[in-house]
Amino acid sequence: MNTRLRSNRPIRKGTAFPALPRVLLALGVMLGAFPMAADDEIPTPTERPSVATLPPIGDHWLWVPDRLLGHSLLFDGDNGEVLGMIDSPLLLTPQVPIVARDRREIYSVDVGYARGNRGERIDFLTIYDLDTLAFKAEIVFPTRAANGNTAIAYSSRLGPRFLGVFNQFPATSVSILDLDARHFVEEIGVAGCAGIYPIDDHRFASLCGDGTVAVVELTAEGHQAGISHSEKFFDTLEDPVFTSAGRLGRRWVFVSFQGRVLEVDFSGATPRIKPAWSIFGEDGGSGPSGWRPGGLQLVAIHAPSRRLFVVMHEGGPGSHKDAGPEIWVFDLDARKRVARIEPPPLAASFLGGRLGIESDSFGFKLLDWILPADTVHSITVSQDASPLLFMRNAEFGAIGVVDPDSGKALRILNEAGLFGPTLGVP
Amino acid sequence: MGFFDAFFEERARAMARRTGRRHFLGRLGLLLVGGASLPLLPIARASAGTDSAPRVPAPREDISGPEGDPTSCDYWRHCAIDGSLCACCGGSATTCPPGTEVTPVTWVGTCRNPSDGKDYLISYNDCCGRSVCGRCVCNRNEGERPEYHWYRNNDINWCAGASSNIYNCSIAVVIGQATERQPER
Repeated sequence: MNTRLRSNRPIRKGTAFPALPRVLLALGVMLGAFPMAADDEIPTPTERPSVATLPPIGDHWLWVPDRLLGHSLLFDGDNGEVLGMIDSPLLLTPQVPIVARDRREIYSVDVGYARGNRGERIDFLTIYDLDTLAFKAEIVFPTRAANGNTAIAYSSRLGPRFLGVFNQFPATSVSILDLDARHFVEEIGVAGCAGIYPIDDHRFASLCGDGTVAVVELTAEGHQAGISHSEKFFDTLEDPVFTSAGRLGRRWVFVSFQGRVLEVDFSGATPRIKPAWSIFGEDGGSGPSGWRPGGLQLVAIHAPSRRLFVVMHEGGPGSHKDAGPEIWVFDLDARKRVARIEPPPLAASFLGGRLGIESDSFGFKLLDWILPADTVHSITVSQDASPLLFMRNAEFGAIGVVDPDSGKALRILNEAGLFGPTLGVP
Repeated sequence: MGFFDAFFEERARAMARRTGRRHFLGRLGLLLVGGASLPLLPIARASAGTDSAPRVPAPREDISGPEGDPTSCDYWRHCAIDGSLCACCGGSATTCPPGTEVTPVTWVGTCRNPSDGKDYLISYNDCCGRSVCGRCVCNRNEGERPEYHWYRNNDINWCAGASSNIYNCSIAVVIGQATERQPER
C-alpha cells in the first residue's frame, strides 16, 4: 500500500533532488557548522511527543462502554471532553470500569483467547493506575466470568479489599478477588440468583429467581462465611424486578415491570422488605397500553437527595426493554413523582455528526424534526451536590447531559461510540 | 416498505418452491432430533422426572400455513429473541452460519404461530466463534425475564456454553408445542 501511495504522489517542480540539500542542512545543524543559520532561520523545535495523564478525578466523569468498539470511553461531563479509554474487546459488552479513589486504581473485568477469538480462554481483572491510566497489575481467575448484553451488577467492589465478579455457567457464582494480595480467593455459589449488589465491607446481595434476594457474607479473608435468603418479595413470572437498581447505603431500591418500587433494607442481620409502592400512585397498575418502566439501565438514584429516576415508555406486555421518551423523577420519601424529563436531541446529534451537519445549523433542526421523538434505554446520575443526569439510547453514540433539578439539557457528548447499553459514573 | 415486503416475500416463496415442504420438514425433524439430544433445557428437564406424560410434546408435522420470513424481526419465532438473526448472516432460522458453533445451552420463548394459531416452545441457540454479525439486529421480549430467571433471559451471552464465548448470531428452533401460554402482563 505504501508503494502505491508513493507512486501516486505528484512530483513537485524544483524538487528533482529534494533530499540532498535537506541532508546537508541537517548535517550542518547537527555538526554545528551553520550556527548562524540555526539561530536565525530554523525555528528551535519546542515540542516533544509525550503521553498525557489523567486530571484529578471529577464527580462528573462518565464511562461510556461501547459494544462494537470494545472499549469504554471516559468523558468529563462538564465539558464533553474525552479523558481516555479502557479496552475490553472480547466481552459482549464491556463492563463499566470500577474506580477506587482510595486505592488510586481502576478495575476492568476482561477475557482473552490465545489466538484472537479462539484458543485457550483466560479471565482476568486488569488493574489500571488512576493517575496515568497505565496498566498496573492483573488478577487471573477461573474462566467463568459472565458475559451479557448489559452486564449490570456483573462486578463490584466489596469493601476496601475485595472485588466480586459474577459468573454464569454452568451455574451462577461470584468470584472473590483480593485487591491487596492480587489473587483469586474463591468462588461462591449463588445458584438461581444473578448480580452482585454490595451492601457493606463484607456482605453482598444477589437477586434470585424464586423472588427472594440472597445475602452472602464474607470472612475477613474473603471466603464465604454464610449465605441466607430473604422472604419472597416479588413474582418472577407475574411482576419481576429489573436488575437495574439504585443504592441507598445499605438499602437497595428495585423497580418491577409494573412499576412497583421495592426497597430492601440490608442493615440488619436479615433483609427487611419495606412496603411496596407504585410509581403510578395509589391506584397502581399501568394498564395494557399505559406508561411502563422500561429500557436497559433504566433505574438510577441520587442518594443525597433521595430521588429515584426511572425511564418510562408507553407499551404493552413484552415492552420492558423498550427505550422511553421520558425519565420520571420520584421523591423516595414522599413516594411521589416530582418531575418528568425528556431527552435532548440524541438521534439528530449522532446521525448529524456522521453526516457532517453542525448542531447549530438549520439542517440539524430539520433532521431533528424529521426523526422520531428521542428515547433512551439507560440513565445514570452523579452523586454530588450538583448532580448531572446522563442518558443514552443504546443504538446511538450520543449521550445527553441534563440538569436533573431543572430538567434542562446542558450538552450532548458527541462521537461517544456506536452502540452501548450502559453508562457509569465512577 | 412495500418493496421490501414484496421482495422478501418473493424470496421466501422462491425458496419454498426450490426446497419443498418435505425437505423443510425433513430438516426440521433432523434439528428436532438434535435439539432433543441437548440436555440443558431446564424447562424440559424439570418435568422429566415425575411426569410420565411429556410436558412439551413434539410439534406435529402439520405446522400449517406459510412459514414466514426468518430474516424479519417480525417473524413469529422471534418473539423473545435478542441479537443478529442468523438467516441474515449465512445461516437460517434453524442453522448457524458456516464456521460457527451452536451453543448447547439456550433460552426459551413461547411464540404463537399465526398460521395455525398454536403456541410453540422456541429454543434460541446462539451461534458462536465469530464476532457479532451485526446484520438484522432484532430484540423482542415477549415473556422474557431478567437474568435471575435465566432460561427465559435473552441478555445472557449463551455462547458461554460453547467452546468460544464470542457471539455471532441467534437462531430460533421449534422444540415443542406449548401446552400453556406464556404468563405475561
